[in-house]
Amino acid sequence: MSRRLLVRPAGRSALPGDDVAVVEDAPLDPADDQGDLLGTLRQDRDGVTIVEVVVDGWRFELAVEDEARAALRRRATRERDAGATSGPLEVRAIIPGRVAEVRVVPGDAVEAGAALLVVEAMKMQNELRAPRAGTVERLTVAAGDTIELGDVLLVIG
Amino acid sequence: MTTATPSSLRKDTSGRRPFRRVLVANRGEIAVRIIRACRELGVETVAVYSDADRNAVHVRLADQAVRLGPAPAIESYLRGDAVVEAARTTGAEAIHPGYGFLSERASFVRLVEDAGIVFVGPSSEVIAALGDKLAARRAAAQAGVPVVPGTLERAPVDRPGDLAEIVAEATEIGLPLLVKAAAGGGGRGMRRVTSLDQLPAALAAGSAEAASAFGDGAVYLEREVRPARHIEVQLLGDAEGAVVALGERDCSLQRRHQKLVEESPAPGLSRDERIELHELAVRAARSAGLRNAATAEFLFDTERRFWFLEVNTRLQVEHGVTELVSDLDIVREQLWIAAGESLSERVRAAAGRAADATRHAIEVRISAEDPARDFAPAPGTIGRWELPAGPGIRVDTAAESGSHVPPDYDPLIAKLLVVDESREAAIDRLGRALEETRITGIQTTLPFHRFVARDPRFRAGELSIDWVDSHWPEIAAADRRRALGVAVRAAAGAVSRARASATLATTIRNQGSVWARDGRRRAVERWPR
Repeated sequence: MSRRLLVRPAGRSALPGDDVAVVEDAPLDPADDQGDLLGTLRQDRDGVTIVEVVVDGWRFELAVEDEARAALRRRATRERDAGATSGPLEVRAIIPGRVAEVRVVPGDAVEAGAALLVVEAMKMQNELRAPRAGTVERLTVAAGDTIELGDVLLVIG
Repeated sequence: MTTATPSSLRKDTSGRRPFRRVLVANRGEIAVRIIRACRELGVETVAVYSDADRNAVHVRLADQAVRLGPAPAIESYLRGDAVVEAARTTGAEAIHPGYGFLSERASFVRLVEDAGIVFVGPSSEVIAALGDKLAARRAAAQAGVPVVPGTLERAPVDRPGDLAEIVAEATEIGLPLLVKAAAGGGGRGMRRVTSLDQLPAALAAGSAEAASAFGDGAVYLEREVRPARHIEVQLLGDAEGAVVALGERDCSLQRRHQKLVEESPAPGLSRDERIELHELAVRAARSAGLRNAATAEFLFDTERRFWFLEVNTRLQVEHGVTELVSDLDIVREQLWIAAGESLSERVRAAAGRAADATRHAIEVRISAEDPARDFAPAPGTIGRWELPAGPGIRVDTAAESGSHVPPDYDPLIAKLLVVDESREAAIDRLGRALEETRITGIQTTLPFHRFVARDPRFRAGELSIDWVDSHWPEIAAADRRRALGVAVRAAAGAVSRARASATLATTIRNQGSVWARDGRRRAVERWPR
């Protein structure tokens, strides 16, 4: 299945009005290669890769991520905002990986920002924090579990 | 540089040197430029630095270095007392100020003179006289040099009763006109007036801004000469009063009074016009008693008239353009003149050829600025730093890969100069040189320069000081949008490939591309480890 990538200018190089582009995740045709200059490539949090590209002297920092993941992130953000005050909130995996550690058990009262669990992805430990205060109603993963993007990890009531 | 002749590479024939030790009161590329000239003459160098420049190239190149203070210029490079003290403790016989910072401060020069140290530049009296734009205008007018029409005395800002008088003068000068600061520079204290009822407010605002910027609120009126080109003349003078012109430079491509591109000779002038211009410049400088290096600035209007603007009593950023055309080392000549020598044979010969240039040189200022954001400063850390080389190329810089460009100083990081036998050829060479220039980590003015190098209007010599401010923002937006499209595809391609391979850094692109070469190079370099 062909994936698509979402690319948007980030950091200091971004200007208001810059478009977010959706590009096929496929090797670039050599004919399209315009001798662009690649600076640094680094893995940011949440599966976003930041690429520095300089074209004809214009320097861009571009945030690249899977379109599906970006959509999920958008939904997660919306849900977080919507669920900020009431109702149960599903906390989903925003990166695929392995659950390294679970720091809560059902029934725990958590503050907004409290560490819930640690996910290991690309040899990096990513701490997952509570988007809002509440009680852990349900825990659907355990340490050592492999998780996919979008899996429900726990529910905060 | 391929164009140097043996004569310009030779030390003084008798093997002497102008000084034993010189302190360079500056930083960045110009400090490096001056240190190089000193080393070639066998003169020891003392660098000064702020905490932000502890590891800077100019500090490394000098024989010794003295710390001035913390990063802000006001606590370091602008501390005249600390600079003089550094010269005293290190036994420097002379101080070269470069440009900017203390180079045109009469009070500093007086401090240097009183300490018995040689200042590489004019005397404090001349600097004070020419630093006051009104005094310079009067002196030039008296010497028969046409000054931009306007007033020659300070405007009565603090005497509202005399306002009627200046309104009458403004009517005579004609609109639109400019309110300018007598102590001015860089456009500060300047106000544009398009109707007479704006005049009182413009005088008050301009005067207040000048007072806060220069400590002197004196302002005057000048007709706005538009459209116009900025053409300036490089001058050298000695202690005996001899002053010569070494040719002119066109610096019309400016944004908000900051030059971006300079070239010599000025395109499209007849030989007679060049001779006339050089004579006007020499006359203005001689009337002021100029010694050492200076530049007389003029406006050139559409009726092909020259109007005197001001004299800068220092080495200019763009002096290299004249060096490439005249085959002189101006800094070296400055040191000899400061040591009391009269103008050298080399200088006199170059002055004799000044209206008959056989080469064309262009300089572009590569600055850490964002050309899409009105050239706002864009400090940061330089990643890749690849500069051009080959025939007819000169690069003056103090930056290198990994250099931090601090926010405290001028954003100029490199001057790229090209020289060739004609303007056409020089523009082609500039285009080639800019293609070789690759800088990552910070935004620079390169997009603007690349545009200029391919713009048919520039090639046709259609130059005007308003051009950048009125045309560039639109061009910049379109050019950046196009580049962003290319960059987006490149970024997506790089991420695709990075995922496909084991590690990010070994990303190999298709054959022959820059990325592929880079990826291969990195992979090879990592191999033995």
